[in-house]
Amino acid sequence: MDQLYLLATLAGTRIAVDACEVEAVVRLTEISPVPGMGAHVAGLSALRSRVLTIIDVAALIHGRRTPAEQRGLAIIANISGHSYGLMVDGVSDICRVPEGEMPLRGQLDATWAPYARAIVEHEGHPWLLVSLSAFIEGGPTAQAA
Amino acid sequence: MVRMRASVGPIGMDELLQEFISETQETLEALAGEVVAWEADPLDRDRLDAIFRFFHTVKGSCGFLNLPRFERLSHAAEDVLSDIRMGKRMADPATVSAVLGIMDRIGELAEAVAVGAALPSENDDFLIGALSALPDDEVVAEPEIKAQAPAPRQGGMQTGPRTIRLPLSLIDQLMNGVSDMVLARNELSRKLRERTADPELDNVFERLSTCVADMRDVISKTRMQRVDRLFAAIPRMVRDLGRELGKRIDLTLEGGDVEMDREMVEMVVDPLTHIVRNSIDHGIEIPEQRRAVGKAEAGSLRVEARQSGNQIVIAIADDGAGINTARLVEKWIAAGRLTPVAAARMTEQEKLDLIFQPGLSTASQVTAISGRGVGMDVVRANVERIGGVIALDNHPGKGLCITLRVPLTLTIIPGLIVRAGGQHFAIPRAAVVEILHDNNETLQISEVGGAKIATIRSVRHSMIDLEDVLGMEKPAQSGPRAIMVVRSAAGVPFAMGVSTVDNHEELVIRPASPLVMATGVYAGMTLPDNGKPMLLLDAAGLASAANLPDIIDDRAARQQEEAADAQSGVEMVAALRFEELSGEKRLLKLSLIERVEDVDSRLFGRSGNRAFVRLDGRLVPVANGLSQFDRDKVSALRLRDDRREACYPVAAVLDIVQMPAVPDMIAMHGLLSGVAVIDGEHLEVINPFALFASLPEEGAAERATGRCLLADAEDGWTREILAPLLRQAGHDVVLGLPGDSAVDPDDVVLCADAGAAQAAEIMGCRVVQLRASPRPVDPQDGSIYRYDQAALMAAIAGRRG
Repeated sequence: MDQLYLLATLAGTRIAVDACEVEAVVRLTEISPVPGMGAHVAGLSALRSRVLTIIDVAALIHGRRTPAEQRGLAIIANISGHSYGLMVDGVSDICRVPEGEMPLRGQLDATWAPYARAIVEHEGHPWLLVSLSAFIEGGPTAQAA
Repeated sequence: MVRMRASVGPIGMDELLQEFISETQETLEALAGEVVAWEADPLDRDRLDAIFRFFHTVKGSCGFLNLPRFERLSHAAEDVLSDIRMGKRMADPATVSAVLGIMDRIGELAEAVAVGAALPSENDDFLIGALSALPDDEVVAEPEIKAQAPAPRQGGMQTGPRTIRLPLSLIDQLMNGVSDMVLARNELSRKLRERTADPELDNVFERLSTCVADMRDVISKTRMQRVDRLFAAIPRMVRDLGRELGKRIDLTLEGGDVEMDREMVEMVVDPLTHIVRNSIDHGIEIPEQRRAVGKAEAGSLRVEARQSGNQIVIAIADDGAGINTARLVEKWIAAGRLTPVAAARMTEQEKLDLIFQPGLSTASQVTAISGRGVGMDVVRANVERIGGVIALDNHPGKGLCITLRVPLTLTIIPGLIVRAGGQHFAIPRAAVVEILHDNNETLQISEVGGAKIATIRSVRHSMIDLEDVLGMEKPAQSGPRAIMVVRSAAGVPFAMGVSTVDNHEELVIRPASPLVMATGVYAGMTLPDNGKPMLLLDAAGLASAANLPDIIDDRAARQQEEAADAQSGVEMVAALRFEELSGEKRLLKLSLIERVEDVDSRLFGRSGNRAFVRLDGRLVPVANGLSQFDRDKVSALRLRDDRREACYPVAAVLDIVQMPAVPDMIAMHGLLSGVAVIDGEHLEVINPFALFASLPEEGAAERATGRCLLADAEDGWTREILAPLLRQAGHDVVLGLPGDSAVDPDDVVLCADAGAAQAAEIMGCRVVQLRASPRPVDPQDGSIYRYDQAALMAAIAGRRG
């Protein structure tokens, strides 16, 4: 397993994303809010002629909307035919992890549980491997429960 | 049976096979109509040739591709058709059915090969046998046919412009690329304008602009498709249905060369199919009936498409029985959804519109063809979802014409840009009936018990503010607000307040992500030139999100009201005259009354000093606080403001009268707002505001949630005695504690064990503890004797409150 991972920080946690899931990382510009939606949908943003649905992932995790001035980068992903931008605090690296995925150890915070798949280790630190589609598909139902 | 996938060997074979399959499928689709037309006119040499050619081609290709089953089927059909061509045989209905059967089987086989599935292993011999089953008298007609067979026309249907096949994703990619290009051009143009003018540069830019615009036009044409495709399945369906139902139908299809967006075609197929089915099933009568009323035995069905501006108009007209509005109304009254009084006041058009209301079918019986669940309400909803309009032109006894008007493309619709809460939204132009400013004299906005009512030229509409529905702040504004009358899919128009209506634009609509669509109030999104994505509002979704009532009685009452207005000049409103249980006669504004019904007086009860009634499994507060009656059934007015409902038991409902909007004498006290004089009689007028204000607030919360969780699910007494009792009392009963431990604060846990009671209490929900003995164990015991029904019910109701 010599796969590429995107390493980022999200809601203060080190996360890794399988690079296959990632289309691009962009700096967010203007976001038009979608009224009537939960805090986890930050709004819509245009990327050239595409419209992205921007997900405030941090709001999914700890329930607080990220203030507009702290919005920085977003991971662009195509999930079941629609383009999404998932807001992250920062992106540190894209690299290969020779050891590959390792099983989750320790007691994972309940808020992370629906999204985390495994651990990948890079430069001596564990990074939580999350699946982007879980944020979209698992998110709202997890919140409703 | 022969499995043929295994035989595909050499390189390139797969591609050839793909080609063969898709060509076969396409030709089949196009031919379905031809075969039926050929049956109607067996002498039509062109059509016969086309069908013959199809089988011939299939036979030839499958020999090469090693597809023995295809070969056998097509060979048999080719033989028969060749006999017919040579005049040795007549194209009778049995033969045509057999040929159609073979075509269907070839289609199935092709489908199976396309998806790589094992071929269905039905016996083809039966189909081939059906082909050769010759009635004896067939060969006789030979000379005649020869004589009459027209010479083949020049340039048959096979010669068309040269085409190639492209994957859809490629075209979509191309479209996206062009959109990007347009946006880049717009930005460039902005940048150029900021600089000093350079004629040379401007010229070049101008040329670039023209190229981009042309390109966009051409690309959007790749999305267009002939309506023929929409029509392709109809002849076959009409034929099969007609045979099944014993009806004879002359089908005319017109305007197949009109082009519309490919996606649009997909969206229209279902509604169109449904309408055609309805028309054959319910509209066109059987030949005997038609003869009896002096119509031609064969019913005529005409499907016609034409382009009108940027709309495609599809008209489906039959000369059948039309819609029997009287029967429609009867059904509605029988279903308790319409009062006879209100029905009497409805116009013909309003009665006709009932067919679009959900839940009822006009057919007296459910038939196999249509009238099974999916009704005209779904058809209308589907048409409106794509920005279309459906209209009926009914001639009872003579026929029905249904007109669908749909936009030319799914992606470009005329829309209005509105602003609300400091943000822009788009709404389809077709959904907007009229726009007014709130300082307009013909408009009056009143508020009653939290419900907003906009009266426009004395027509009342439920009113919502877009900001309220979407949960946005309403910023202060200097100018007047705009009030739009919006027609929802349910057909009841409502008024919607927005900050301003900014613009009218052709909008390129794209689907929004499922996450956004899940809110139900958006229909899609669009990206205008300014690069800020904008949401497209869904009128029907807004109405249902705001829980707007869908009151039919009010529509009828409104008309009477209008007539009265014209006479008096004083603003009058419809009011219900009724007799209180205490004997007084009073008036209540009709628009607040959802319906009147007789309620079993045992359903009324009292908790604390508030009266409740159990209706439809919910506890509804009683507005005048009565709970004891001297009769078994009591008439009750069901009232509703924008979110709460109430029940108002009365002695008798007298009639509907016109009362002045402002009482003749204002005297506010208690539930009354004053006195009105109607026909020389003084009547007290109920003040709706005070009425709803006096309702206990808990009523609303209670209605929303609250289950009874029975902790001891295994216990026999709990299952057999307690659960049924609670269900009868209208509670939502859950056996056992929910596994996900998600307990709503409104839930009540019932248990027998003190330990469980404590545990449940810790989980933060209310507990009713039951005991088996009539006496409490000790004075601190808060439990309830399990057969003390009154105490038990009070405990459940009380603990929720």
